[in-house]
Formats: sequence, structure tokens, C-alpha cells
Amino acid sequence: MVFLILYSTLAMIDVHSFKRTMPVTDKEVALSERIEAFLAELKRGGSGAGTLRGSGETARETTALLRRITGQAQWSSAGDLMEIIRKEGRRMMATQPSETTVGNMVRRVLKIIREEYARLRGSSEVTDQQESLHQLLTSGGLSEENFGQHFKDLRANVIEAINELLTELEATTDHIAMQALEHIHSNEVIMTIGRSRTVEAFLKDAALKRKFHVIVAECAPFCQGHEMATSLSEAGIETTVIADAAIFAVMSRVNKVIIGTQTVLANGGLRAVNGTHTLALAARHHSTPLIVCAPMFKLSPQFHNEEDTFHKFVSPHEVLPFTEGEILSKVNVYCPVFDYVPPELITLFISNIGGNAPSYTYRLMSELYHPEDHEL
Amino acid sequence: MNMAAKTAKQGRPGARRAAVDQDEEEQPLQAVLVADSFNRRFFPVTKDQPRALLPLANVAMIDYTLEFLTSTGVQETFVFCCWMSDKIKDHLAKSKWCRSNSSNTVHFITSDTYRSLGDVLRDVDAKALLRSDFILVYGDVVSSIDVTQALQEHRLRRKLEKNISDNIVVAVDSKSKRILHYQKTQGLKKLQFPMNIFHSTSDEFEIRHDLLDCHISICSPQVAELFTDNFDYQTRNDFVRGILVNEEILGNQIHLHVAKDGYGARVSNLFMYDAVSSDMIRRWIYPITPESNFVDEEGKSCTHSRHNVYRGTGVSLGHGSQMEENVLIGQDTSIGAKGHISNSVIGANCIIGDNVILDRAYIWNNVHIADNVAIRQSVVCDGVEVKTGVILKEQCVLAFNAVVGPDVTLPEGTVVSLHHPDEEEEEQDEFLSDHAEAGHNKATKKDKANNSKELGTEGQGYIWKSSSLDHTKEDELAQSLWGLVLNPDPESDSESEASEGSDQPGSRTISPELDDIKVFQTEVQGTLQRGLEENIGCDNLVLEINSLKYAYNITLKEVMQILTRVVLEYPFFQEGADLSTSQYNTLLLPLLKGWAPVFKNYVKRAQDHLNCLASIEEFFLEHEAHWGALVLMSAYNLDILEEDGIMRWFSQEGTTDKSKLLRKNQGLLKFIQWLEEAEEYSEGD
Repeated sequence: MVFLILYSTLAMIDVHSFKRTMPVTDKEVALSERIEAFLAELKRGGSGAGTLRGSGETARETTALLRRITGQAQWSSAGDLMEIIRKEGRRMMATQPSETTVGNMVRRVLKIIREEYARLRGSSEVTDQQESLHQLLTSGGLSEENFGQHFKDLRANVIEAINELLTELEATTDHIAMQALEHIHSNEVIMTIGRSRTVEAFLKDAALKRKFHVIVAECAPFCQGHEMATSLSEAGIETTVIADAAIFAVMSRVNKVIIGTQTVLANGGLRAVNGTHTLALAARHHSTPLIVCAPMFKLSPQFHNEEDTFHKFVSPHEVLPFTEGEILSKVNVYCPVFDYVPPELITLFISNIGGNAPSYTYRLMSELYHPEDHEL
Repeated sequence: MNMAAKTAKQGRPGARRAAVDQDEEEQPLQAVLVADSFNRRFFPVTKDQPRALLPLANVAMIDYTLEFLTSTGVQETFVFCCWMSDKIKDHLAKSKWCRSNSSNTVHFITSDTYRSLGDVLRDVDAKALLRSDFILVYGDVVSSIDVTQALQEHRLRRKLEKNISDNIVVAVDSKSKRILHYQKTQGLKKLQFPMNIFHSTSDEFEIRHDLLDCHISICSPQVAELFTDNFDYQTRNDFVRGILVNEEILGNQIHLHVAKDGYGARVSNLFMYDAVSSDMIRRWIYPITPESNFVDEEGKSCTHSRHNVYRGTGVSLGHGSQMEENVLIGQDTSIGAKGHISNSVIGANCIIGDNVILDRAYIWNNVHIADNVAIRQSVVCDGVEVKTGVILKEQCVLAFNAVVGPDVTLPEGTVVSLHHPDEEEEEQDEFLSDHAEAGHNKATKKDKANNSKELGTEGQGYIWKSSSLDHTKEDELAQSLWGLVLNPDPESDSESEASEGSDQPGSRTISPELDDIKVFQTEVQGTLQRGLEENIGCDNLVLEINSLKYAYNITLKEVMQILTRVVLEYPFFQEGADLSTSQYNTLLLPLLKGWAPVFKNYVKRAQDHLNCLASIEEFFLEHEAHWGALVLMSAYNLDILEEDGIMRWFSQEGTTDKSKLLRKNQGLLKFIQWLEEAEEYSEGD
């Protein structure tokens, strides 16, 4: 009797474990396929022209993928997980070094893992993080936390926190647009350059209440400014498109310059679309305030002198069509996509958590990222 | 290579739509990659390494092709290798394409028997590898063109028309984007177009002279079948020409797609190699750039800095060396002091001495270059040693492991290889005629004797050919190695013109002599008679008639007219001219029944029905006495003719009194009435 029962339970366990292991391997295959697909998309997405996806979308997709990795990869401790995420993050960043949002999201997730781990351990890592000079000198190797302890709830907690991050990401544009009325007043003349989804939403939000005039620099050679102008005028905003060369001439009439950016660098400078530096210098010459609409996920712990990731040169096709074959071998044509704008030229950053001066960037940086994650 | 092509004419709606189209939509996209060029342009370099594996900007060419296919969304690629298939296999097995998470599954098919593209496609057909449309590329195509749009157009067109076979991505912009004529204009001053292009019913066409064929073809599965059917098709050009000439007969069409932006080229000779490499470094092929490391290999990564200078990891540059512009240097390469490098590609693990001048030099891996060397527009293959003081003039090629120097100057166009040219002659003499071979042998023996003088005291290898020699076979080979564009030779130009001219469709489509039609008619009659006597199957009859059609150059329309006529005349031929109507009919009906499949083969489209009816009418105008609706009725019952066709024919007013009379025949009116009623009945249903 006893024997029989024992036997049957054993068999049940066997079936159960079999069932459990099969889906896991399936999931892993699916996960690695997802990652490959994302990498391929990243690689292709950076063609520089109009096909560029919004960086908000990239940020969301990266975070969703990281959440998936957290949920489905095999790890037992926070240290393992961080190692996995770092490894995948490095690969993602290598495929498209100019897309800094990917790296930023990886760092945010790493920070989340650190915090959740610290909370479960019961120690208040949050206070530890502010390393004073005194602490650095006295603590020695204490900061080398190994994250080796196993917690049952860690996975669920981290996923929960990443979900919160995702919600935050989805609301960023709205949060920035909400502040529009504080900055745009009636009958002002506003200049912008190229096309930025954030600035577009910002201006449209203000246009609901106020009347103002927008001048859009076309931003050659990709001329995204044309699309921007169409979109704005459809929303009922009085819009003028000018050539990039006319920026300085028109600047004297402008009350405010509002631009978007690709990345906010660690020193408070910008890596923005080509032509922004010209615009910023013209604004400085006329003492026109320059406002940058930048969500927090664009803040990167990078400096502008890191050469290989800063530049992005795309096919010169837009500058000189390939059909001019005769002279192609005799000339060098370059088509850079980004400009560096030094922090001195910027008046104000508007992010989803409010307005900040460029000099305050270091502070935001330490709130968002852990210092050890600056280098992945 | 410019291409002149014309398009015209809206595609006719297909007579038969395929019900399978819906299924094909969901098939994964497949590609056929031919990793062999089937020519010897890159000889003697390709003796040691297949062309698909030659490095272009330090990455094997086949990787570019696979990257292009993968980014297009190809999920299954068949790589066909012939020459040195093991090397290609090894290379791909190590690459990222064969990793388990690759979105593009790569299959190898190797055989030593492939001699041309035709062989490969015949094998594709024999193995039934392809289920739907596929992309056909060579292993040396470098491209960043987005062909998805072309693919969609292709699929759309396929729905409309079943017989579309091939779509060349490249050229011409007009209504239906169909190619009517295709011609290469290498050095041709005069172009000829066959008259029938202008005579066709087209209302609009375009002549383009500004297009570059990038050798990417989107093919329907029928393409492979066509290659099987036409065993004489060797290359793509044969195929294109064959399709265009026989277009109206087989109903197959070629369309093209003009890619406005993007980059695509086939590295077909060293001149193209030079051009594509420099385009790569100047970032024309973005997003495929040297620093993007798309092959995802360890050690292939490099950094990009100003003036398009790319450096791999572990590169050391001596004091005072200048990398002026457009330079790519592979990992762990060291360059001595005071060098001057511009527009060059240098591979991995090279050691380059002091005071070296490199301009448009393509230096592959593990090359040793000593001090005071100057290299201009030349290719230096793996493992070569260039001793001190050597000067390579333009268009030199140093093949694998050759040693040159010290202190020699190689004249323009010198090719040095460790393989003796004679070995090659013995292996493959099909390229050279006996006469040329004899001359060649003499020349090479002379080269061999002079070896130490020309290659330096420590030199190893044989000089293959040099442009300084007169117009012998060698000269032409050297030209094809670097491409004809560089130094167009008047003699070879005229030769190619002559050969082009003889291949032109124009010379073939002289309107057939009347005699031909007569002869054809008697031949068809003979064939049918024999078929009846020996009980030959209808398929074979069709085959015979087809071959007769080619032999006498008869158009499809005429074939049908003659066939109808022959069949209708057949009873007279059998029993003599004086038959009564009933006798005639009783003889004719079994014949029609027996040959119905033959008719069906030729009578497909609505226009064919009308033509067939017209020739029936023509016949009975001559033999009024035997006219009766019975012929039409039996043809209708046998599915040879369709209701629509008959009704349309009937509604056409006869042009002469006689034909009007013909339409007033009692039996015919009854038949037509019956048809109309049947139609109403089926509609009422």
C-alpha cells in the first residue's frame, strides 16, 4: 500500500519537472531571438534620414526588452542579473553607438536592481551612495558589494520597478508639454530647428491657449524641418520655414529659441542635429534665450570628447547624389549628423521633472545613475 | 556598365489566375546565393581563394551579400559553391550567419559540376528547393538597397499575371516597368534597336542610358524551370535575351525596378573592387561601414575618426607617419615611421616599414612590406613579402605568398603569382585557342627566364602578364582583371562590338519569309499525320510544333492560324477535295477531339480565341459549302473555345458580304441563341 502511493507520487514529480524544463528552453530561444531582432532593428534604424525612430520609442523598447530579460533569463542573484544585463547592454550599444538612449536605459535598470537588492537586504544603500571624500578614504574596498545573496522576491520587485519606469517613460512627452504655458507667451516669435517630437508636442500644447509665431529652420540635408512645419501648421500655428543660412538674419526678431536634442551630455552640453550649434551661437549673439526640451532618458553620462561614439557620418548621398559619378572619385564628401553645443550657450533645460540650468546636470546624473555604471 | 532599356505596354490581365497565390504570401522569403563567378576575371588570385572570400575593406565579400539578404528579410539562403567550396563552407560555419539565433538560415549545396549560373539554377529546379519567389545574387554583390519595395511590386504583379518570371532591380521608370530590350553599351558608339519594339502596340516607352545593373534579381520559381527547359542558357544575359526575344511566344516578362537611392554593385573585376572599396570607406554604403562591424566578429571592430580614417585595435603607427584620408587599417598592424598613406585598405597583422608610400593600395592580411616601398593602385594579397626599395606602378597584382624585391620596379599591370601560368593552361585550355596557347607558352618561358631580373634577386613567383606586351591574349586578360574601363583598347573594343552585334535580337527578328510559313504548314501537317498514324501523345506533338516554330521563326499568332487551317483542311487531305458536308463533319469531329490538347496549348488568352475564330472564318470563307455551326459547337464542347470569345467574334460585324452571310447561317444562329440562353440560365441560377 505505502509503496504504491510513493511510486505514484514519484511519477507525478517526474512529469512535473519535465513540463517545467521544456518551456524554459523554449523561452530562452524566443528571448535570444527577440534580442537579435531588436539589434537588427537598431542597426537599420540609424540611417540618419527621416526613417529614424523617435528616441522615446527606442527607450521604451529597450526597457521592455530588459524587463523580458529580467523575467526570462536564468539567474539566481542580483550579481548574475546585472552581469547579464551589462553583457546584453554592451552588445546593444555597440550596434548603434550614436543611440545613447539604449545605454541610458540599461544604466537605469542596473540602478533599479541595485536599489531593490539593497532594500531586500535591509541596508539603506541610498544613503551609502553619496560618497563623501571622507567615506572614500575610510571605507576602503567596502563599495565592492558582490550582490551574491539570493532573494526570492527580487525578480518580482525588479520587474515591478521596471514597470514603473516604463510608465514614467510613456508620460514624459506629456509632462514636458504641460509646462509649455509657463514658457511661451502670447504673440511671441519662436524659432526651432529640424524636427523633434518633444518640441512638436510642446508647441502644440501651448497653441491650444495662446497665439504665437514659429520659425522653423529646415535643417539640411535631411530637411526634417519641412515635416515639422507641415505638422505645426496643421495644428493651426502660424509657421515659417527658413533656410539654415538665414538663421542669423532672422534671429533678431526671435523672442525665444526652443529646440530638441538627441542627447544631453554629462557636462550639460548637447549632441543635437546638425546646425544646432549655428543656431545656438546666433541666439547667444542676440542674447535670445535658448531652451532645450529634453526628457530625462536623454541624459547620458558621456562626455563629448569620446570620439568614436560621438560622431555619426552617414552616406553622403543627400549632399551629393551618387549619380554625379564623374566627380565622385575626385572629392571627399562628408555628411555628419550631429553637432556639439557647449553648455554655455544653453539657458534652460525642460525635462519631464521640471526646468533645470545646464550646470545642474551633474546632480541629475547622480540621481539617475549609479557611478559604477557609467562605464558598462 | 550602362544599360539601355525600354519599357512599354500595360501588362495584359492574365488568362488564368492562380489560386495558389494566397498560399505563397506566407512562404518565407528565400534566396539563392551563387558563391562562384564562373569566370576567371580574378585569376590568378582566385586560384588560392574563391572570389566570394576575397576581402573587401577587410571583410569577405560573401558577408556583404549575406548581410544584404538578411536585412531584406530573407529567411532561408541557399549557398551554391563550386570552386573551393570547403573554404567557403568553413568561413560561413564560423560566421554569425550559422549561429543558432541567426534569422537567416544558410544551407550549403556544393558540387564540382557547376559550370555556369544555368547549371546552378537547373540544379535548383531538380532539387525543388524553392517554393515561392526568390532573390538571386552572386557572392560578390555589395548593396544597401532596400529591395522590399521591389519585392512588393513583384508580388502584386504576380497576382495580376501568372507568367512574370524575373525582376531585375536597377532601372527604368515608366508605367508597367517592363523591359523590352536590354543591351550593354560597353564602349559601343552605336546602338541598334529591333524594329518590332516600335511596332508593338505600346504607346509609351523610355530609353535609359544611365543605369547600372547591380545583379540582384527577384525571380519567380518558373525561372529555374525555364533554365531547365532551355539547356543552352548559361548566364543571366542568355536568360534575359532569351526571355525578351521569345516574350510574345512564352508570355514571360521581365520587369525592372529603379533604385533611386541606396547602393548596389557587383565586384566583377579589380576596377570595381577598387571603386567599391573606396565607396565603402567614404561611407556611401551606409549603414554598412567598416566600423559598424556587422559581421559581429572578434577583432573586426575599428574606430572611425576624421577624414575617414579607420583603425582596428592594436594598430601602431610610427613617428611622423601620416594617414591622410580614407584609410582603413586592420587590427595589430604596425606601420613604421614617416610613412604616407592615403585611400588605402590595409589588412590585419601586417608589418609595414619606414618611408612607405601607399596610395590606393589594397593590402590584405599578414603582408610584410619593408622600408622605402611605394605602392600605387595595386592589390597585394595575403602573405606577400615586398622587400626594400620596391616600386609597384598602377594596377599591379601580387597574388598569395609571392615575394618581390629588393630594389625593383614593377611596370604597370604586372601580375605576379606563385603558380606557373603553364599549369593553368594544362588544366583549362578551353579559354585559349591552341594558337594563342602556343604563343603564350613562349612568352611565359621568356618570363620565367627573366624572373630574377624582373622580380629582384630574392623574388619568388612568376610574372603572369604585363600590359607592355602587344595585343596578345595576355593583354586582354589583364584588362579584364582591372576592367575594360581603364584603358580601352581599340582592337578589343571593335571585337566586342562585333560580338554584341551578332547577338542582338534585331538581327534575328527579320520578318519571316513567306516560304517559311508554307514550309511550316506542310511540316505541321506532316507532324499531325504522323501523330495520327503512330498514335503520338499530344504533349509530344506540341513539343514538335514548338521546335518547328523556332526553326522557321513563326510567331505564336501564325502558329495558331496555321494549326487551325491544317486541322480544318485535314479531311480534304485525307479523302480528297470532293466531300459532302456531312462526310466532312464526321471526319473532322474525331480529329478535333483528338487534338484538343494541342489547341488548348496555344489558345489561352482572349485574343487567342479571337484569332482562332478568325482563322476558322477565313477557312470557311473558302469552303462555304461545308460551313456549319457544328465545328464551333464541338470546339466549344471540347473547351478549345470559350463562350465569351465566340460571342465577341459573332458580334463583330463581318467586313465582306460573304462573312456577313456566314454569320446568318441557320445552325450558327441557333448555336448562338443556345449560348445566350445558357448564359442567362446560369446567371439566373
